[in-house]
Amino acid sequence: MKQVSRRQGRGWLLLTAGVLVLIAAVWSFLWFRAASNQTLDERVQAVSSQIKCPVCQGESIAQSTTDLARQMRATVREQLAAGKSEQEVLTYFQEHYGSDIVWAPQWQGFSLLAWLVPLALLLGGLALVFATLRDWRAVARETTGGNEQPVSEELEPYRSLLEEELAEEDILFRSPAQSKKQGKASGMEAK
Amino acid sequence: MYFSELGFISLILAALFAVLTLVLAVIGAWKKRSQYTSSARHGALVVAAFLVLATAALVISFITHDFGVRYVTEHSSRSMPWYYVWAALYGGQEGSLLFWSFSLGLFTSLFVLTYKRAPAVLVPYVIATLMGIQLFLVLMLLTVSNPFVRLTAIPADGVGLNPLLLDPGMLLHPPLLLLGFMSFSLPYAFAVAAMISGHLNSEWLRAIRRWTLASWAIQSAGLLVGAWWAYHVLGWGGYWGWDPVENAALLPWLTSSAFLHSTMVQERRGMLKVWNLFLVIASFALTIFGTFEVRSGLISSVHSFAYSDIGGFFLVFLAVVIVFSTGLFLFRLPRLRPDQEFDSIVSREGVFLLNNFLLLGITFATLWGMLFPLLSSALNKQMMTVGPPFYNGVNGPLFALLILAMGVGPLLAWRRTSTSVIWRNIGVPLVLAALCAIILPLCGITNVLANIAFSICAFTGAAILYELWRGARVRHKHGESYPVAVFMLFKRYRQRYGGYIVHLGLVFLAIGVIASQFFQIQHDVTLKVGQQTEIAGYQLVFLGNLQQEETGKTVVTAQFQIWRDGKLLKYIYPGREVYHKMDQPVSKIEITTFGLNDLYVFLNDWDGPTKVGVRLFMNPLVPLIWYGGGLMLLGGLLCWWPAAQQGSRVRSQRRMSVPEKDEKQSAEVAV
Repeated sequence: MKQVSRRQGRGWLLLTAGVLVLIAAVWSFLWFRAASNQTLDERVQAVSSQIKCPVCQGESIAQSTTDLARQMRATVREQLAAGKSEQEVLTYFQEHYGSDIVWAPQWQGFSLLAWLVPLALLLGGLALVFATLRDWRAVARETTGGNEQPVSEELEPYRSLLEEELAEEDILFRSPAQSKKQGKASGMEAK
Repeated sequence: MYFSELGFISLILAALFAVLTLVLAVIGAWKKRSQYTSSARHGALVVAAFLVLATAALVISFITHDFGVRYVTEHSSRSMPWYYVWAALYGGQEGSLLFWSFSLGLFTSLFVLTYKRAPAVLVPYVIATLMGIQLFLVLMLLTVSNPFVRLTAIPADGVGLNPLLLDPGMLLHPPLLLLGFMSFSLPYAFAVAAMISGHLNSEWLRAIRRWTLASWAIQSAGLLVGAWWAYHVLGWGGYWGWDPVENAALLPWLTSSAFLHSTMVQERRGMLKVWNLFLVIASFALTIFGTFEVRSGLISSVHSFAYSDIGGFFLVFLAVVIVFSTGLFLFRLPRLRPDQEFDSIVSREGVFLLNNFLLLGITFATLWGMLFPLLSSALNKQMMTVGPPFYNGVNGPLFALLILAMGVGPLLAWRRTSTSVIWRNIGVPLVLAALCAIILPLCGITNVLANIAFSICAFTGAAILYELWRGARVRHKHGESYPVAVFMLFKRYRQRYGGYIVHLGLVFLAIGVIASQFFQIQHDVTLKVGQQTEIAGYQLVFLGNLQQEETGKTVVTAQFQIWRDGKLLKYIYPGREVYHKMDQPVSKIEITTFGLNDLYVFLNDWDGPTKVGVRLFMNPLVPLIWYGGGLMLLGGLLCWWPAAQQGSRVRSQRRMSVPEKDEKQSAEVAV
């Protein structure tokens, strides 16, 4: 019985891995294709959506309909067509309109902090989560590994009852093995 | 005597009774005398009653057009329709503060009326904390932000309300958010009570779970209506702009969502006690921070009609709240040890930790984005803007992971899950996600990021529906028909399946957001009469402009026909209203929904009757945002709805255990 379920488990594992590989393949194919044929229009859109419209409230020059935004879009197109990189265009606008014309902090200098601090904190948080989990597991191992071992046989039926109760609310986790256990537990009660 | 004077007197009395109630509650808690606590309960009701009276006085001043009251003059006029008087009540700073105080009064009385459900030890502390908050608000209303100030010369007519607020969305959006903000003070009061009294077991958590759920639902509704209002009124084709004020409303929503999940871990497994306490405190502190930020105008925002000079007081209050809570928190830290051990990362509590990590990550990143321009100008003397590209870049992936965790989480059991169960549960949704990833490019959607996002949504949506189906199938095998089986699932495990409905709603909402984010089509065009333009297969023919003079405003309306495949579908009339007293014109945006796509037409400018400039958007799947949001609220309601039999069982148990107290209670009922 156990071996069958293990083989089944391995089958599912292989299937899952296969599906994941397939998904990854589709995504990377799309990624490389998109990177190679980006049109000028798309690049203009990408750059101008990062530049704030100076005379509007909460709009980028890609969204705004004002004349100024239209002129600025034309400048972006001109410069990109002349072979400047996206970063160079953004720098040009920062030099002419002040540093707060760009809508997202740049990847350089002081404004790099805007990106790095959340990233660092996310990583720190993730490390904290893992440390917490490891601590909890260590505590769990200590308590179950030491004193409780001799009693655990005695407690085993109760533990399985608790697990059943927990699982009972989750219809999904009522596996065939568990219903068998249930039978065993009720047998024990009869004893 | 004017009604406004009555209102002011009510406020003074409310302040006095708040002080009295605070003192009574503290004595009741200190000396453990129930008479004091019972007086404090009544005192809290009296405070609420005076606040109702004060609010009523302001409403009556509005209805009777008492322009001797400065607030009424500044926020209403005779030409205003009567139902917008309600909006005028919170249309300005003083009134919204009064509304806040009023809603805190309502929540306090709700608590007082249902106090028997809460652990008795906590009641006086909760009342004391609520009164402390209330006292702050009422003192603000009496001193720096008084809505009842009278003018010496009474004008004939008022200025009127900001026309942007004259919209049905405005009847709901601000009061819902103000209510939502204020409702977080109840869980906070419970947290303070638990910390001071030292009763830090799961009882206080159980007592506030439904409160927090209600706060969460009100806040969700407020955010949704706000998004809907922005979409229908502002004319930039979007619904969420990561504006500082929007962010301020989102932050407590995020932390309370985190709390609703981590509280389950504490209830089931006795873990995360410290964390839960932190989340409750953080939610409340973030609401105060949000108010401070909106009112102070510290951070520039489109919500500029709410600026005023009381921000500083809220900053002080925020500091007091943080110092007080942190002190208590550190004081009680040794008592907050977990009761049970953790078994495995691959368990539901493991995913809940991940969920909390992601939600808090989004909260922090958003807060950081809001504060960074201030830091930059202070430290680096450099002006800086943090706009949507930043928030989308940081929060987008975090939200995607969150939705993925939402799909995986329910598939794992508490404590630990064997690998074979995981694979069995995950297989089907994963195959569906893969199908989605393959089919989308074949349909011409080649954007990688959109593909990833849609596939994640497909996975989670499929996981939820698959689980629903499997649950129903198990019951079906025991002889129930499928509809009955689904109904019984919802009846028996209402909170769990309610949660699934919330998740499903969020998936729909996410699909709408992703589609409109990546595939919005924008088209600006200037047309003369008879000319036509095309967007996404729809032809629009311009027929002319009409200019009308109405009382107090000029209305310009353009007429268009929408055609598709040679068939006339509809006439639409996008327009603008120019109010004579206000310089800001209000747009009448035409949104026509075809299937699940919105054709959004905004009148940009016009020149006489024959020339028009319009901005067209094709917003794909935006209606899904509203449907998904509705589903989330429905799910929240399902989780919140009281369980009838269980409640009576608890009550009867309690009656058996505390017989002498029961007598007292029935005596009070008799009084």
